[in-house]
Amino acid sequence: MNKLFSHHGREISVLVAIAAMFVIFSLIDPLYISGDNIRDIVEHATIYGLMGLGVTGIIIAGGIDLSVGPALAFIAVVVARQAVSGVPPLLCVALGIAMGMVMGMANGALVSYVRLQPFIATMGTMSVFRGLAYLYTQAVPVIGVPRPYRLLVDGEMIPFVRASIFIFLGFAVFLHILLKYTCFGNHVYAIGGNEEAARLSGVKVKSTRTLMFAIGMIGTALAAIVQLGKLGTGDPTTGQGYELEAIAAAAIGGTSMAGGRGTVLGTVLGAILFSGLKVGLITSGVDTFWQYVATGTVIIVSASVEVLQTRLADAPGGRR
Amino acid sequence: MATPMISFRHVSKHFPGQTALDDVSFDVQAGEIHALLGENGAGKSTLLNVFHGVLPPTSGEIRIDGEPVAFAHAKDALDYGIVKVHQEITLAPEMTVWENLYLGSELNWAGFLRRSRMQEAARGYLKQLQCGFGPDDKAGSLSVGEKQMLQIARAMMINARIISFDEPTSSLSGREAATLFAIIRDLRAKGITILYISHKLDEIFTLCDRATVLRDGKYIDTYTVADIDRPTLIRNMVGRDVALFATRHRPQRADYSRPVLRVEKLQSESAGFEDISFTLHAGEILGFFGLVGAKRTDVMRAIFGAERLSGGTLALDDRPLVNRHPSQGVANGIALVPENRKEQGFAANLDNADNIAMASLWKYRRGPFVSHVRKDDNARRRGETVHLNPNRPDFPTRNLSGGNAQKVVIAKWLSADARVVILDEPTKGIDVAAKADIYALMEDMVEAGKSLIMVSSELPELIGMSDRIVVMRDGRIVAIVDKSEFAEQKLLTYAVEGTAP
Repeated sequence: MNKLFSHHGREISVLVAIAAMFVIFSLIDPLYISGDNIRDIVEHATIYGLMGLGVTGIIIAGGIDLSVGPALAFIAVVVARQAVSGVPPLLCVALGIAMGMVMGMANGALVSYVRLQPFIATMGTMSVFRGLAYLYTQAVPVIGVPRPYRLLVDGEMIPFVRASIFIFLGFAVFLHILLKYTCFGNHVYAIGGNEEAARLSGVKVKSTRTLMFAIGMIGTALAAIVQLGKLGTGDPTTGQGYELEAIAAAAIGGTSMAGGRGTVLGTVLGAILFSGLKVGLITSGVDTFWQYVATGTVIIVSASVEVLQTRLADAPGGRR
Repeated sequence: MATPMISFRHVSKHFPGQTALDDVSFDVQAGEIHALLGENGAGKSTLLNVFHGVLPPTSGEIRIDGEPVAFAHAKDALDYGIVKVHQEITLAPEMTVWENLYLGSELNWAGFLRRSRMQEAARGYLKQLQCGFGPDDKAGSLSVGEKQMLQIARAMMINARIISFDEPTSSLSGREAATLFAIIRDLRAKGITILYISHKLDEIFTLCDRATVLRDGKYIDTYTVADIDRPTLIRNMVGRDVALFATRHRPQRADYSRPVLRVEKLQSESAGFEDISFTLHAGEILGFFGLVGAKRTDVMRAIFGAERLSGGTLALDDRPLVNRHPSQGVANGIALVPENRKEQGFAANLDNADNIAMASLWKYRRGPFVSHVRKDDNARRRGETVHLNPNRPDFPTRNLSGGNAQKVVIAKWLSADARVVILDEPTKGIDVAAKADIYALMEDMVEAGKSLIMVSSELPELIGMSDRIVVMRDGRIVAIVDKSEFAEQKLLTYAVEGTAP
């Protein structure tokens, strides 16, 4: 039990926060735990979670990706256009994933080989991707995504459980295995933790980081694919501010912005807490503008808890 | 004799304006513990860096087992079974012990980690080394000594043939050091060749088979430890041809009837020094000598307010002085010219005017704003005082030579009206001509009534410039020596042995 807590303290505290959130909001309005509402929360969490997972990997490798919001829009409009023009749904999905990998690879190359700071590199591509989304559509949303595509990515497979949830969970499991059980994942943590140590140990820092940017963007591609299924429309203006929500999900889940620390489970829980909070604030009738304040506060509080925990752990005698 | 394990052949290393290694040739036999000895700056660490492929040699050759090698990267040396146990330890702190142990050479099956196998093997290595931590502990939670053990475990894991240690006991407790020695002897018994750098003669005599002395980058001799005594070793470490000698050209200014800064029983648990007491007088240049790890810099930072104290008092002009933060040190008229200028002395992106004004911005106000004209005027005036070249306020400080950049740092403190100026290795990395300028500036400052503390690892300049010299060892003051008793061998013996010769 002690070991469980010391290794997964962050996940456990987020889990406790989620439980507290459900209790509080359902006391305010019992409808909060109704089926529709839960589904709402899960749907939100799917989008933020997919993006957040990808960003988590990138942050663990010592990077950051601000371009995921516009990347989501660009991928969504391209996939939408293809789906509308009759390309088979599975091929559309593959196209979206391939796009994501190429875009992520571009980010990674700018960071690793041009040696830009990740913040600046992805701030640049953030604007580029948004521009491409507008150029591709001339700012006109792509409507009428055919039903087979929508069923594939977001159909209700069994009552209440949509395909998108499996996509979310599937990507989470994939990323978890990749990060925890492969040499690649080990190198990602090492690069974020101490790049010099990794280099001196013979880790190929540049290619590993580039690949992590590419794999991370797959999360955003899947989010775009899923969102397109839910909405049926490819909108070039979508994804505004999503990069912050994705980073917030990672941060709440305990991913350190300094790199080298973070877990898939933490981000999944972070995304659930984050979307549960958003939905709850709406159902309990809180003024929309206060919602921004509340979500911001959650981010700050969770980050402060993190700092406090680290301080306690580093204090003399606080070892183990 | 068998083929030597390591053979240095005419190895030289030149840095701009400095020769760190000058035609060094000697052999290290397989399976011996071979010490590298010398004063600070004698070239021991440079030699190790060249050996490990961190620095390329300017000329010369290194042979391993008779075979010439040229390592372009640290990784190449690693592949050759040559491991360095670092002084500043490189680990990924958030990862576990076994993950760090196998980083870059993970056991895997098609890219998937063989976790349990690595954990098991790691447990085995740790057991062999009698480590008190397990493979699943976080590397960041280990003590310095334990991190060292982890590096040794790593060396064993990659089947190292040669392991080098650079001052391995500098942050270890006595018991940890004893364990380390036992392990190093074990490694020798396994046929591994050990290179060992330490200032502590005790360690050389208890641990090492042979010792090579370097001095000013030159090879002096290699001795069998059993056949040599300490005085001979120390004499060979010191006996230098004095290329440059710093001397005072003007009358002494020290007024021993006027104490300025009184330091009493200063101690800091976190920085690792205790019982530091001395008095700095008006117009005095007080030298501080010690070897690496003597904690001289930490004491100076504490006086300036940049290090946390756990006890002791400071008094300036008989008034108690409390410096809990560098800003208080500055306000109280204490200045610190730090050892690593580039990181701590000046801001790389600012020009001379901004750097010189940095500690005294309040002086250049015009109304609520800082006047650039005033800042530039000040920079020009102070620049003249310190003979800055080029003396241009808009010149980027980072483009100055080392000596001129140091003058900018000194000008900064002159602008702030510092009364006590602490100079930490003030001539490090500065060419000969500029060194003379810095010495002249120091004389200017004492003439202007300031009191100076000069921390230096170069005995000739300390002896030449100081009125008295404080010798530190392992975080304590072991002697305060008057000018009449300055002698290199005596000071070095204090620094090495902690007692009088």
